[in-house]
Amino acid sequence: MKQRSLLLWLYALLVVGLPLAGLFNAFLYSVGLVGPLSVGFTPRYWQQLPGETSLLTSLGFSLYVAVVSVGLAVILALVLVLRYQTTLRHWPFPTLLYVPLLFPSLVMAFYLFQLLGGSGWLARMAYQLHLIQSPAGFPELIQDGAGLGILLAQVGLAFPFFTLLFQSLYADARLDELRNLTRTLGASSWQFNRRVAAPILLRRAAPTLVLYGVAVLGAYDIPLLLGRNYPQMLSLYITTKLQRFDLTELPMGYLVGFLVTLVLMAVIYATTRWTQRHAL
Amino acid sequence: MFTMNLVRVILFLSLLCTACSTNEQRDPATVLNQSWDQIDERGRNQPVVLLMWLGDPYINDYMNKYVKPTVKERFGIDLQISGGQGAQIVQTLVAEREAGQPSQIDMVWINGETFYQLRQIDGLLGPVTDRMPNARYVDFSNPFIGVDFQQPVNGMEVPWGNVQLAFIYDSQRISQPPRSFAELPAYIKAHPGQFTIPNEFTGMTVLKSWMIALSGDPKLFQGKFREDVYEKWSGEVFRQINELKPYFWKRGETFPEQLSTLHQLFANGEVAFTFSNNDAEVDNKVNLGFFPKTARAYVPAPGTIQNTHYMGIIRTGQHPEAAMVVANFLMSPEAQLKKMDPNVWGDHTVLAINKLPADYQTKFNNLPTRRYAPKRDLIQGLAFQEPAPEYMVRLYKDFRTKVIENNK
Amino acid sequence: MPSNQSTLDEVVRANPDTKSRAGLPGSMPRSGLAWGLLLLFSLPFVLLLLLALGQYWRFPDVLPPTYALDALTRVLSADSALASGLLLSLLIATVVAIVSTAGGFVVARAIAGATRPDRWVTLSYLPYALPPVLLAVLIQPYFIRLHLSGSLVGVVLGLLLITIPFAALFFRSFWGEQARQYEQLSRTLGCTQVQAFRRVLLPLARPLLITCLFQTFLIAWFDFGLTNYLSVGKVQTLTVQVFIYVGEANSRLAAVASLLLLIPPVLLLWLNRKAIVRRVV
Repeated sequence: MKQRSLLLWLYALLVVGLPLAGLFNAFLYSVGLVGPLSVGFTPRYWQQLPGETSLLTSLGFSLYVAVVSVGLAVILALVLVLRYQTTLRHWPFPTLLYVPLLFPSLVMAFYLFQLLGGSGWLARMAYQLHLIQSPAGFPELIQDGAGLGILLAQVGLAFPFFTLLFQSLYADARLDELRNLTRTLGASSWQFNRRVAAPILLRRAAPTLVLYGVAVLGAYDIPLLLGRNYPQMLSLYITTKLQRFDLTELPMGYLVGFLVTLVLMAVIYATTRWTQRHAL
Repeated sequence: MFTMNLVRVILFLSLLCTACSTNEQRDPATVLNQSWDQIDERGRNQPVVLLMWLGDPYINDYMNKYVKPTVKERFGIDLQISGGQGAQIVQTLVAEREAGQPSQIDMVWINGETFYQLRQIDGLLGPVTDRMPNARYVDFSNPFIGVDFQQPVNGMEVPWGNVQLAFIYDSQRISQPPRSFAELPAYIKAHPGQFTIPNEFTGMTVLKSWMIALSGDPKLFQGKFREDVYEKWSGEVFRQINELKPYFWKRGETFPEQLSTLHQLFANGEVAFTFSNNDAEVDNKVNLGFFPKTARAYVPAPGTIQNTHYMGIIRTGQHPEAAMVVANFLMSPEAQLKKMDPNVWGDHTVLAINKLPADYQTKFNNLPTRRYAPKRDLIQGLAFQEPAPEYMVRLYKDFRTKVIENNK
Repeated sequence: MPSNQSTLDEVVRANPDTKSRAGLPGSMPRSGLAWGLLLLFSLPFVLLLLLALGQYWRFPDVLPPTYALDALTRVLSADSALASGLLLSLLIATVVAIVSTAGGFVVARAIAGATRPDRWVTLSYLPYALPPVLLAVLIQPYFIRLHLSGSLVGVVLGLLLITIPFAALFFRSFWGEQARQYEQLSRTLGCTQVQAFRRVLLPLARPLLITCLFQTFLIAWFDFGLTNYLSVGKVQTLTVQVFIYVGEANSRLAAVASLLLLIPPVLLLWLNRKAIVRRVV
């Protein structure tokens, strides 16, 4: 038992200690106590925070991307799992669905850039079919105002994963047996899917889905290549401040990073607690 | 049992990492007080960690296939090249200093704004060039070399190459590109959707050049940062750009975030122009089969910014002598000649040709010419000095707030 | 994006149900769906290959006017750095996979036996709250103080920060009632603790262990941000080298580099599926 708790404390030191220490460091930066140009404690950056209107835009946009892309991917995956249950068990699906998991997001972003851009592969095909006359005639699918390109990339990466996830939960919860049971009781397939299967799957997958959403929220490569410079997603917003040439922007970058991390930690905490309490 | 093993492994690992980093911090004054012979002797058979931008295959080849083996063979120096630039270098140095540790970095490839930041945090060792034998071929009185972003270099960084901002266009699609900044607005209006400015270093250099061109007086931008000059002429540039926005690529609703993105748009044929901080880059991109063979580079009147890039020696580095030996080699006529060949890299030399030994003068004068880039002597009259770094910092910020986020 | 893979634990259980079988003759919509997905997922490989091989390829040509192997040979022969990067990647990913799988396995056991397992589960999720870009920047000062900056050990530790909690969460479901009963049963039957571990629990967990190794291997394999930042650019894994190409250079080299990054995990996937199927048969 002693060994066990020692191990757990070591573990805590690693997974909680380091990130919290890092967070503490970010806080010190944000009040001017450390950093290349630090001159001692100052509340200045915190006071300037309300003036950072683009931060709100950035936060809103990131939330929108996370919610919509996870939402779309979930719907797609649910449709696949519930409507094509038997198909999915056969070749080539089990292997096929793993393929997108092997794509680093940067490669995915680069690929979509070359595929969907105004002079991309699809646009070239459209030109050969006399659908457009010039790159400008092709619909804006990337670097567009609605973040379509980012959404497409995220959904493309997420839906196969969610499909595999739901597929395993489906088997785990013995939904097939349940389906037969409800069918004998006279429920339609649609009723079963909507009232029974979907809620069970969603509830069980909830922590995973939330975590995935958090990852999308903090994504960097995909919005860098496929998004616009305004509105920016959070990671880009923070890195712009941290890694560009203006050292005076550093404290604000750390401040935003600090706050964003706190909020995400709270979100994760709330969801894991929620699912633990409502565990099925 | 498993637990104990794990604990042992962790303890062992932590022992290992404290044991293997017996780093030593060198006293800058002692390093600099040595004669070149002493520096040369101490520098031999040491590793040198160089942080640089690794985005160009030609540059990487020059470093990996030529510089690395040569310094290994001649000085026994193991040159380790890593990716990193700008603020990342500064942050790492600051974190190392706060921890009271010597740096993992010995040498960095920098230009003006990083130089400015490194000077702010006192990160560079120097003056170093007065120790280096090959510095005698460099004309430090040339303001394009002796002054970096309006800051006197004073031996704190070692000149490596000299480049000038160029516009790149496809001569097959465009018969008459705008020959000056004054012609640019009319041109953009006449050819909508084909022009944009990248929101990064090169793009900011375009804006600076545009600003100086509009003012008609490059002297205004020499010396220290002047708020009034900046306000007036940046305002003028932003006014023109905002007016032209509907005619920009994607109606000016977004701008490429990286130069590589703009290069790809150009290579794909989506936009008609791209830019390069290196006037000779177009040659190597065509040779790579990336840009069309009809791509050409030119410098619009009244000129663009010319600047020098440098090697900085890190003050808290662990192998300052070895770094100085490498920097001196990079400045040698031999290494500079190789680098200037457009088939190798095409980076213009920082050496004053007339100061060189006669045989090297001939070699430099007989280098293969650039095929797609403008001749150096043609654009020398069209060169502006880099203004103070604050211009760049401010343009960055204001380009975002006054142009990108300005959606009327 | 570590969290992308971070939550595959549930998926594992999909494998017994979804193992490869000979395809039944499908009706139309079935094969339509299959073809659709096949097309969707193979398109990237086709386009990347065309980009890598095609020269001077621009709008409106649907196919490149000329082809050449030069970009491929340039990347492959740039110098031996790519080969050493490959070895380095393999080394780091293997060490991380083994350490984090073993560590996660025992940590999950400790968590299951703790008084408040829920808390520990929640804690395990916390490292994922930081966007990876930020995580590296924030923990760097501590790595410097611990003399870990710029070293291989530092990179491995940084990666473990992500993979150990991943593995711990992964094995959470394994250490349920059943596993504990098995352990107790074997102890009452006279096994020592080591024997119980080696003879009973490890074989029981074998398929999970393999999948966890695969997952953590991939996380380490794909990592760019942490590795590059914590090593001050010194530890140049294959991924670090490839990301530099993709991020900065031109699209031809980027395409070659992307393919290079994709092929090893595709091979691994193929091997891994076999490993997983084997336990069911």
